Amino acid sequence: MQLVFIDARFEGEVKLGDEVLTHIKDNNVKSVALFASVNFLGLDIVKKQLIEAGCDILTTKAKRTHVPTQILGCDSYEDSYEEDIISKADMVLYVGDGMFHPKALLLSQTFRKDIKDVIIWDPVAGGMKVINRATIQKQLNRTKGNLTRFLVAQTIGVLVTTKPGQQYLHQAQKLKEHLKTIDKKCYVFISDTIDIHHLENYPFIDAWVNTACPRIGQDDITTITKPMINIKEAFDPGKALEDLA
Amino acid sequence: MFELELEKAVLEVKNRNAKRVVIQLPDGLKAKSNLVADTIEKETGAEVLIWLNSCYGACDLPLGLEVLNIDLMIQWGHNRYHKVQEMW
Repeated sequence: MQLVFIDARFEGEVKLGDEVLTHIKDNNVKSVALFASVNFLGLDIVKKQLIEAGCDILTTKAKRTHVPTQILGCDSYEDSYEEDIISKADMVLYVGDGMFHPKALLLSQTFRKDIKDVIIWDPVAGGMKVINRATIQKQLNRTKGNLTRFLVAQTIGVLVTTKPGQQYLHQAQKLKEHLKTIDKKCYVFISDTIDIHHLENYPFIDAWVNTACPRIGQDDITTITKPMINIKEAFDPGKALEDLA
Repeated sequence: MFELELEKAVLEVKNRNAKRVVIQLPDGLKAKSNLVADTIEKETGAEVLIWLNSCYGACDLPLGLEVLNIDLMIQWGHNRYHKVQEMW
């Protein structure tokens, strides 16, 4: 079977509104870390506006994309990007609609002391929004709580998807071996779609580890009662907890 | 509001001589799937099947399509994806 992707680009003009330009001026912004989702990658006008506003434009390539500036929802860890431009920039700007992608930019800063605001310019709504630490505070609190609960959990369930793009069975196997050495029992669960409602059918699991899309272990944790952490934190949850403090 | 690039889709089906095609659209575009299916079927004669479920990204491709002898799958709203092999 062959495969083709169609970007589905936004048909309207992608141009920053006055609110963004005013924000840049009022906050004396000199450098902008620029990101967009694939549907809004026609950024020539935006770049021209930023240069005219006196800003240096910083871009990077997220490792799973093949176009610089583009981000995916799974780019929610600091090392998702080839270069850390967020910490270097005066302002982080996301161009696109919805909250899934720009929240990745906040989540990628989870293990830092200072989380920079993300300015969203939504060409569809024609408006600016600012999201910040408060936007993900509930998730940060749950992550902290889940790491603590994971540390004392005895029986761990590891979730593995069969979808090739998100399948990390080898990491689940590696974790299972590691957990054995610290006297924890581990079961590996597989599914083609990780539906968190199915987790309730396994009352013998004290804590879950997600190896599929990282956003399951960052967003969906606020809607389930059992603790869940991402595989990235599962090998050294104590250190992750320290970094979060 | 978003460019469906139906001409490109039709061309891909024709160039690949695909006879059975699956289309997968993200939630925001699913309401247009009838337009996409009708156009491809009319312009190419290929049979079009619409993927009912999720389309979260290029990492989220339907499994098991081989049992239905699918020649081509077209996904909208995303582009090529490079899996990081070790871990995300």
